[in-house]
Amino acid sequence: MKLSLIWRLLARDWRGGELGILIFALVLAVSVIVGISSFVTRLQSALMSESARFLAADLVIVSRSDLPTAWAEEAARLGLQTSDLLGFPSMAVADIDHMALVSIKAVSDGYPLRGALQWSAEPYGPLRTEGAIPLPGEVWLAPRLFSLLAVESGDQITVGETLLSVSGSVRSEPDATTAVFGFGPRLLMNTADIPATGVVQPGSRVEYRLLISGPAIATTAFEDWITPQLQEGQRVQSVEGTQPRIGDTLDRAQGFLLLAGSLAVVLAAAAITLASRRFGVRHTQYVAILKSLGAQSHEISRLYGASLFCLGAVTTVVGCALGWLMQEAFILVLGSLLPLTPGAAGGQPFAMGVATSAVCLACFAWPPLSRLGQAPPLLVLRADVQVDDVQKPTDFLLGGAAIIALMWWYSGSATVTAAVVGGLVMVVALGFLVARLLLSGGRKMGGFAGSIWRIALAGLQRRGRANALQMVIFAITIMLMLLLSVVRSSLISQWQDQLPPGVPNHFMLNLAPAERPLLTEFFDDNGIRSEVLYPMTRGRVIAVNDSALPEWDETESSDAPRQRGANFTWSDTVPAGNALKEGDWWDPDTEEPWVSIEEDFAEGIGAKVGDQVSLRIGADIVHAKIKNIREVDWQSMRPNFFMVFPRAVLEAYPGMYMTSFLLAAEQKSLLNKLVLAFPTVTVIELDVVIEEMRSVVSQVARALELVLAVILLAGSLVLVAGVQSSLDGRLKESALLRALGARRQVVLGTLWIEFLVLGALAGALGSAGAEAAAWGLQTAVFDMTWTPTVLMWWLGPLLGALTVGTLGVWSCRRVVNTPPVILLREV
Amino acid sequence: MIKVSHLLKTVPTADGDLDILRGIDLEIPAGSSAAIVGASGSGKSTLLGLLAGMDMATAGQIWIDGEPLADLNEDQRANLRAEKVGFVFQSFQLLPSLTALENVMLPLELAGVAGAADTAARFLTEVGLENRLEHYPTTLSGGEQQRVAIARAFAREPRILFADEPTGNLDTRTGERVIELLFTLNAISRTTLVLVTHDEQLAKRCDLRFGMVAGELQPL
Repeated sequence: MKLSLIWRLLARDWRGGELGILIFALVLAVSVIVGISSFVTRLQSALMSESARFLAADLVIVSRSDLPTAWAEEAARLGLQTSDLLGFPSMAVADIDHMALVSIKAVSDGYPLRGALQWSAEPYGPLRTEGAIPLPGEVWLAPRLFSLLAVESGDQITVGETLLSVSGSVRSEPDATTAVFGFGPRLLMNTADIPATGVVQPGSRVEYRLLISGPAIATTAFEDWITPQLQEGQRVQSVEGTQPRIGDTLDRAQGFLLLAGSLAVVLAAAAITLASRRFGVRHTQYVAILKSLGAQSHEISRLYGASLFCLGAVTTVVGCALGWLMQEAFILVLGSLLPLTPGAAGGQPFAMGVATSAVCLACFAWPPLSRLGQAPPLLVLRADVQVDDVQKPTDFLLGGAAIIALMWWYSGSATVTAAVVGGLVMVVALGFLVARLLLSGGRKMGGFAGSIWRIALAGLQRRGRANALQMVIFAITIMLMLLLSVVRSSLISQWQDQLPPGVPNHFMLNLAPAERPLLTEFFDDNGIRSEVLYPMTRGRVIAVNDSALPEWDETESSDAPRQRGANFTWSDTVPAGNALKEGDWWDPDTEEPWVSIEEDFAEGIGAKVGDQVSLRIGADIVHAKIKNIREVDWQSMRPNFFMVFPRAVLEAYPGMYMTSFLLAAEQKSLLNKLVLAFPTVTVIELDVVIEEMRSVVSQVARALELVLAVILLAGSLVLVAGVQSSLDGRLKESALLRALGARRQVVLGTLWIEFLVLGALAGALGSAGAEAAAWGLQTAVFDMTWTPTVLMWWLGPLLGALTVGTLGVWSCRRVVNTPPVILLREV
Repeated sequence: MIKVSHLLKTVPTADGDLDILRGIDLEIPAGSSAAIVGASGSGKSTLLGLLAGMDMATAGQIWIDGEPLADLNEDQRANLRAEKVGFVFQSFQLLPSLTALENVMLPLELAGVAGAADTAARFLTEVGLENRLEHYPTTLSGGEQQRVAIARAFAREPRILFADEPTGNLDTRTGERVIELLFTLNAISRTTLVLVTHDEQLAKRCDLRFGMVAGELQPL
């Protein structure tokens, strides 16, 4: 078979309008998969670099002792970048009246290897990122150290035995949460000045870090090389295990995108099946003519196989190109917000696109066409020859298996697949049942109604099987469209709930008990809204049920229960934002030695409800019985505690207080007044992080809108394909009605009724399926609370009726606008 | 040459087996024209389908140029049609998505004949449709569509041409013109013509005439 002939036949089919839906559905399937999977791959790589930002490197070697120079040399040999860092708590002295305990971080050239260090020339001044690190002889101070030490830029302070000049204020360090060296505010200096300070001596509490970054292969090779050489007190920190704050949001967004991709493929597969079936039915006569002209069965199969292959090749190329454009559009929408590595998507998404195309062609498009070769040539002589249906029940089994496999592959989650497939199975089963009951009952009802209703309902019943199939396809489409809309809305509202307007953006620690009224007054005077003040005592869990727990160092690399240090508080009620997982809360007046433990912490010390834990608080040993286990939302921006005691147990121990509060951008300078008024407190500024999270959420929400639009487009396509699949029969009947003298209104009326009834039924079924799948997805996948969507239950049938009705009547409009004789000749 | 011996065709129905053809014997020499005349439902079209190898007989044998059809499988019969047989149908059987030119080109392209477009255009010119090459079937009149079908049938220069009620869907005057064309082209290309019709006048123009009554064939 000549390729040119195949192209010509395809071109003729295209011109004849036979291929439109098939081509469109194939392009859609490939482009959505390529688009979404490239975007998700790039998002994942962005997440990795975001995680790397939190380490300031791809890999960090942490040690209590000086690191051998051979390690940095080996890293350099592997082509990796390195930077030294050391941290320790020490005193910074401005003059005899002004000194402060600080957390010193000494950095060398290249720091940070990942992420950016933000600083300003003046405390709370405009942020800068250029200039990298303090020069030798200079220090950058945390903003509030300026007031604590009563210094300005250009003044000198003493660290150990050396004088250093204050040249800036350190505002945001990428590794602030992973590199903590004591509680004091930060002092950033150059490693070149460390020997002169004389602070670092053998035995002093210094943490040495070697930061490493470079290609993944080289960092992995280095990690493999270094791990066996690590001594006691040395460990490796890698990107896995450091989760950025926005990680959870992006994780769920990815889950949503992959779900959307899977649904798009299900919709495209449905469109392909319908379009291919119609193509097969319409080509049966075509093939009979070809066979009467001498074409052999295998030639017909080859012809259609090759045509499909060519069609697949073109649509795959176009789909890949469109998919690439789609993910570029996503990136454009997300802007420069995410630190995305260009080209990180690689070839994998395109491979997925090609595989999707191959599966769609083989499992959905090919089966109806594969049987065309069997069409009897006798059809050209006699129209009454029995023709086998181009589609067999086994096709649907094959298609179903392919859909499950594809969904599983894309979503990478058996739970997602099970939830959606469960909903689909429900819709299919209920659909055929309802179709059977209602369509046959409808005929009886129609008998009592007017002629328009009688003709319409009789038509529905006459094409009962085809209508049931059509209704189920409509129902599946409506279900998937509703499902995605529901999941999107609840995801977005959940994100917004997580960071509601007015969420605290600063934490304050170390407030002395006597200072509480003064602080409240300060907040009131300045119009600052704060959370409750929580008492805070530090201690260490040393035993569970009188069995001593091992120290940290002995079990550093294992998950075995070990001693844990933590901040404790007391409370009369369950702290806001916490949920009891096991056990119950205590009476506020209780004097029993009870304790409430956070679930992961309980796991870390190997304890459960009813166990007795022993704690060291200061010089005392305290025993308490676990009353309950709590789930804590660590992203709530409220003070959260691993262990909470009844008031009577903890009140006796000296402790400091903590709280969180909201400070608007224009109130930022109040921080200086605050730290001057309360010199002992530590303020943790989270406003930048919260703004970043808000921005990510709103951008990600926009990306989800885009994807939803694509899915709605895919759904509309299936609806069009569905309506078209029964078009020939309807056109013929309507033309006959008109030929018999039926008025325009009668023909239009019957069409409206048929499609409205089909659409409304499909909408109701779709709502049921969407609700079932949403329940599965929200509870098992997205970790959200499921609430029935009442709106969907009446919106589904209404939208179904309107959409299917309008599309159906619009597709059949020719029947009232074209003379019946022409229609009858054509169909 | 076409030879048929003791041909039987039975189809199962709800009321038991129905004999459509009951022992047909027939010989049509090469280059001659034969008409099979009969009322609707007498079995004419069934016989034509069997002669063209598009259906299988219940019993009996058909030889086309000495080749026994019963011994050929479906693909071999299709091959025989491609090489030796042309068709003209009552309902034209043109492909609606193809232009007149493309419809005529189709069998040539399927056979891999070079210069299909030129040959097709030449035959369409011969049937007087040189101004309708790019027209689609729906924009052609019935007579014009049948002339496209005739051009398609002759374009492959077949040894045998089967025509099933070629004027059945046409008015009398158009029908006469189409028949005139059919016989003229047949005379030029020396094709064996087998015509199924219920039109006695048309049958009279053929060398041989057979009457089909209730599945039995009689020379007229």
